[in-house]
Amino acid sequence: MKSGETMEAVAVKPTTGAITARRSYESSLSARGEPFLWGLGGALGFGVLLVVGFLVLVFWNGITTFWPKPIEVVTLLSGELVAGEPTRREAFKVGPERLASLPEAAKARIIADDHIARRVLLRTGNFDLYNDDYRWIEDYKIEKVETPSNLFFIERQEWGAFVGRIKSLSKDGAVISGDELTYAFLSSEQQEARQRFRAIKAIEKGEIGEVNFELNQERLKIRKAVLQHGEGAPETKRVEAEVEQAALAMKVRFEALALKSQEIKSQDSKILVTLADITGTEKVTPLSQIVRFYPANDLSLLDKVGIYLSRWSEFLTDDPREANTEGGVLPAIFGTFVMTLLMVVVVAPFGVVTALYLREYAKQGRLVSIVRISVNNLAGVPSIVYGVFGLGFFAYILGGSIDALFYPERLPNPTFGTGGLLWSALTLALLTVPVVIVATEEALAAVPKSMREGSLACGASKWQTIKNIVLPRAMPGIMTGLILAMARGAGEVAPLMLVGVVKLAPELPVDGFWPFVHLERSFMHLGFHIFDVGFQSRNSEAGKPMVFVTTLLLIALIALMNASAVIIRNRLKRKFMVGHF
Amino acid sequence: MMKTTALAAALLMGASFAAQAQTVDAKLADYKKVSGVSGSLKSIGSDTLNNLMTLWAEGYNALYPNVKIEIEGKGSSTAPPALVAGTSQFGPMSRPMKAKEIEDFEKKNGYKPSAIRSAVDALAVFVHKDNPIQCLSLQQVDAIFSKTRKGGAAKQAATWGDVGLSGDWANKPISLYGRNSASGTYGYFKEEALFNGDYSDSVKEQPGSSAVVQGIASDKYAIGYSGVGYKTADVRTVPISKKPGEKCYDANAEGAYSGNYPIARFLYVYLNKNPNQAMDPLRGEFVRYVFSKQGQTVVLKDGFFPVTKAIADEDLGKLGLK
Repeated sequence: MKSGETMEAVAVKPTTGAITARRSYESSLSARGEPFLWGLGGALGFGVLLVVGFLVLVFWNGITTFWPKPIEVVTLLSGELVAGEPTRREAFKVGPERLASLPEAAKARIIADDHIARRVLLRTGNFDLYNDDYRWIEDYKIEKVETPSNLFFIERQEWGAFVGRIKSLSKDGAVISGDELTYAFLSSEQQEARQRFRAIKAIEKGEIGEVNFELNQERLKIRKAVLQHGEGAPETKRVEAEVEQAALAMKVRFEALALKSQEIKSQDSKILVTLADITGTEKVTPLSQIVRFYPANDLSLLDKVGIYLSRWSEFLTDDPREANTEGGVLPAIFGTFVMTLLMVVVVAPFGVVTALYLREYAKQGRLVSIVRISVNNLAGVPSIVYGVFGLGFFAYILGGSIDALFYPERLPNPTFGTGGLLWSALTLALLTVPVVIVATEEALAAVPKSMREGSLACGASKWQTIKNIVLPRAMPGIMTGLILAMARGAGEVAPLMLVGVVKLAPELPVDGFWPFVHLERSFMHLGFHIFDVGFQSRNSEAGKPMVFVTTLLLIALIALMNASAVIIRNRLKRKFMVGHF
Repeated sequence: MMKTTALAAALLMGASFAAQAQTVDAKLADYKKVSGVSGSLKSIGSDTLNNLMTLWAEGYNALYPNVKIEIEGKGSSTAPPALVAGTSQFGPMSRPMKAKEIEDFEKKNGYKPSAIRSAVDALAVFVHKDNPIQCLSLQQVDAIFSKTRKGGAAKQAATWGDVGLSGDWANKPISLYGRNSASGTYGYFKEEALFNGDYSDSVKEQPGSSAVVQGIASDKYAIGYSGVGYKTADVRTVPISKKPGEKCYDANAEGAYSGNYPIARFLYVYLNKNPNQAMDPLRGEFVRYVFSKQGQTVVLKDGFFPVTKAIADEDLGKLGLK
């Protein structure tokens, strides 16, 4: 700005020649830097627009997905009835072949409309009846559209949604239908049925799972003994006898549990509900298979909010079902969180120590520069390359050796010799370590020399100076580096696909069995879940909303982790502000 | 083509079944739970079969809560190495193993891998829902997708006019979608529809079957191939004929069972079974479950077509599970 002003002053001064004045005035415009400023501002605005647009798109689509929609019943000109949730509408050009097949009235209307017609995509559900769950309906085929009451949207444990009416409920042989079958009555029955369903699940997953875990451990003992002492050796025989005894006791426990769950199941199978689609085709299903149901066209705002929240809570706290397209994402949230945390635990000391040595101890010279350049270049290596390295080095070489040394009894089933939580965390740590090193180095360099010298002058050793003076003051900068590393790591998917992320992991990596954290287990990840549901699920139409919701969740999770790191950093900053003069 | 005929013949063994499509063979056995099944299983292989394996795993797990099953599906080509290395127990594949893959397996184990024909898939050629095309012969499909045109077409089909569309469509270029080369679908389509020719360079290779369908849904002039199970309301399947001028058959159960639909195939699950030993109950019961009424209902749920009792019995017999 300053140079611009002086130029202007020079330009105004000569009053004799108008031409000189204009020329210098023109040049001063660019010299003042204003077009440049506009360019910068524009670039910033464009960037912000992109980011905000993206966030709004994800946020809006994610937040509206679970809101209950009304069900439309469409009567077609052919007399056919179709019921479903309208999901999308679009205008389209009617081709000549299709136009020719239409009745005259419709044809005239479409021609008058410039060959444009409209259509709506209805989510008809009932995949088990129709072999299809979405259907486009063109407006020229429609006779009328209604939203009748008492039409239910029913979410089922299997086969996806059912759209239709609830005909009757048969409970222990007695059939309840007609006016007796109120929504309140059905709801309370369904709640009870779901409780039974959860009880079965708790027994089968929790208690039976425990028995099995122990049983498996016992079995491994035999294999271990065989490997140690050889087959038929007295020690092996002793272990075998012991295991047999333990297995027998466990079998008794298992039988008791299985009986218990069988009892609830048989009780459960006696309560059946008869559903009918809009044309009257009936479908009988156990009531406990119904996850949620509501009369879509008779809901008050409060009811809608209730359904909305209940869907969110299912999404956040439940296991996925139907090959990940429905249900919740709890295992994926958990996997993402644990993996990122583990990555930070690995990358923080590793990166900080490297930077400390580079900045404080190493003799600055050609070698250190080369190391530094190499570190910076590491940040530019495609992430899939890290994945390949992780698989080859960590999983196959390191993991394979660990298996051969410590888990020979489990071979050929690999324990560490395949992708898993630990290898994923290490691979991502490798991927993000340059960020931490660079940030830490900058932070260390920013600590004033006077402070170091003061400390050294007081007789502190180099390490004491670093520990007590330099590191605490560099901490906020180091934290910034870690935050960046975390954000990058949590959002990375490509390398993980090679080193441990799976579509369906049967167990969480942390549970109640010793050693509680199972680093060798493969896990689910939100990022991979998005890829899987978006590109691999049977019905991409049904998967799309789930993609948005999961993306929203992943962004929220990363934001949450970052926010907590920022809070810690600010605490640290404040702590050392006091010490400043 | 040999393979398709074999498929048709095999399916016709359950003759009465062909008439009533989209339900499972009523003669298939109900699955009966047995005791003593526990342990963990891992499946690595086909992406086409990924959802099906997951659904089977969910069903099997509901019967045997003490079984853990992990599923990984990144393409059929990933199945054989995992089986050879012993990292997986099941290798779902959407194409049969190649001689080289079988050889690798045999070198390690001393016997050949076993396969079960777990479901039937009509490999569908999809177009956008507004596309008026009524029929394509395999030769035309080859002319569209291939640059070598081993099917005998005179020239590459670059626009929709080249395959017989008129009006607005005639001069619109055809936009091609396909699978990546790790996929068994890629290999099968190359073999059957491209007569072992090479894919055209302009095929947009997608990482999953569903991605192909989504690509076509958002591109009005697109054509692509993937398992019929991935069909959505935004795309339609094109009926295919074996030779130019013959009758076209749609990618549905009747077409696949009768063998009239030329690119129907079996979906396989490979496993490592020593011919001299009985199969362990953990895997044996899984195979039995797959071939039960319940298991084949799951096939329908995923949009593929179930196998008949005859096939189920044959494959169970081969594994000594009958």
